[in-house]
Amino acid sequence: MSTHPDRVPAADCADVVLRLFEFVDNETGPLDRARIEAHLDECGPCLAEYERDLLVKALVRRACACQQAPDTLRSQILTRITTTVTFVEPRQEHG
Amino acid sequence: MLITAVTPGERVGVGALVPGRGLGWSTMTTDQPTIEQIEAQALAEADAAVDVSTETPEERAARFEREAMPLLDQMYSAALRTTRNPTDAEDLVQETYAKAFAAFHQYRPGTNLKAWMYRILTNSYINIYRKKQRQPLESDAAEVEDYQLARAASHTSKGLRSAETEALDHLPDSDVTRALASIGEDFRLAVYLADVEGFSYKEIAEIMDTPIGTVMSRLHRGRKQLRELLTDYAVERGVISSPEEATR
Repeated sequence: MSTHPDRVPAADCADVVLRLFEFVDNETGPLDRARIEAHLDECGPCLAEYERDLLVKALVRRACACQQAPDTLRSQILTRITTTVTFVEPRQEHG
Repeated sequence: MLITAVTPGERVGVGALVPGRGLGWSTMTTDQPTIEQIEAQALAEADAAVDVSTETPEERAARFEREAMPLLDQMYSAALRTTRNPTDAEDLVQETYAKAFAAFHQYRPGTNLKAWMYRILTNSYINIYRKKQRQPLESDAAEVEDYQLARAASHTSKGLRSAETEALDHLPDSDVTRALASIGEDFRLAVYLADVEGFSYKEIAEIMDTPIGTVMSRLHRGRKQLRELLTDYAVERGVISSPEEATR
């Protein structure tokens, strides 16, 4: 299970499990990516591990779906921006 | 072939991707953009190329409003997950926007504003709340060591069977947010930035002001803890039997 002698770029289970989260995040380089993919094609336990990692990532994204900020917060921030500018640069219209 | 094997992820992922994506060009399905969209695009392009040194305070304030205010819902959502309560989240977002506005002349137009805002939010959170809580911080060395130990441990543990992985998909969102709220704040933030916002490791490292290795360690450990908590919840709910009993 842990080695595939006939495959030249062999990745063993320990390597794959260690780097699975990088793979899930799409942060592995093309070479590592190919090696991990080749391993997952052949190793059931690692594939199950991968599917679970992928699911947990998706669950987090689903559970943390964007929430609307309260209107009061929005208007407070906008007020602050406008009043700060007015304070810094007094209008000259009446001069 | 691999990609088609991941239906659970696809199923839950799609809906969460839609809101809050800038001007939404990439998600537009109609062929002809509206006048408003063309104008907004033109403004965004002008904002990305603005000369900060010749900008009046009014122009800068207007640009800040155009660029930063559309991020408000996302920043609030992140603050909510980070602080874990609405009042603190509002305070944190107020603080973030005040600081961002005051420092907006330092933001380089055309670069990643969201990452820039997140960095301010993260710093503000650390300044305001971590001091308040006085939680002992784990050293990076310990994190790296744990990460290396995980190499051995993660594979010798049986883990979940596919059916049990499937069962996790049926947990309510509240269980996921509860689990997220239970893990360490550095882990939580790293996982949030990677999974919800889709930032790269490099971007997360810049936002959290840590080496990439630390980001990876936090993600690795944070997700491991998340998985364990979710498994516990699934067992509590009777969705799956306890891992000890699940022999195959």
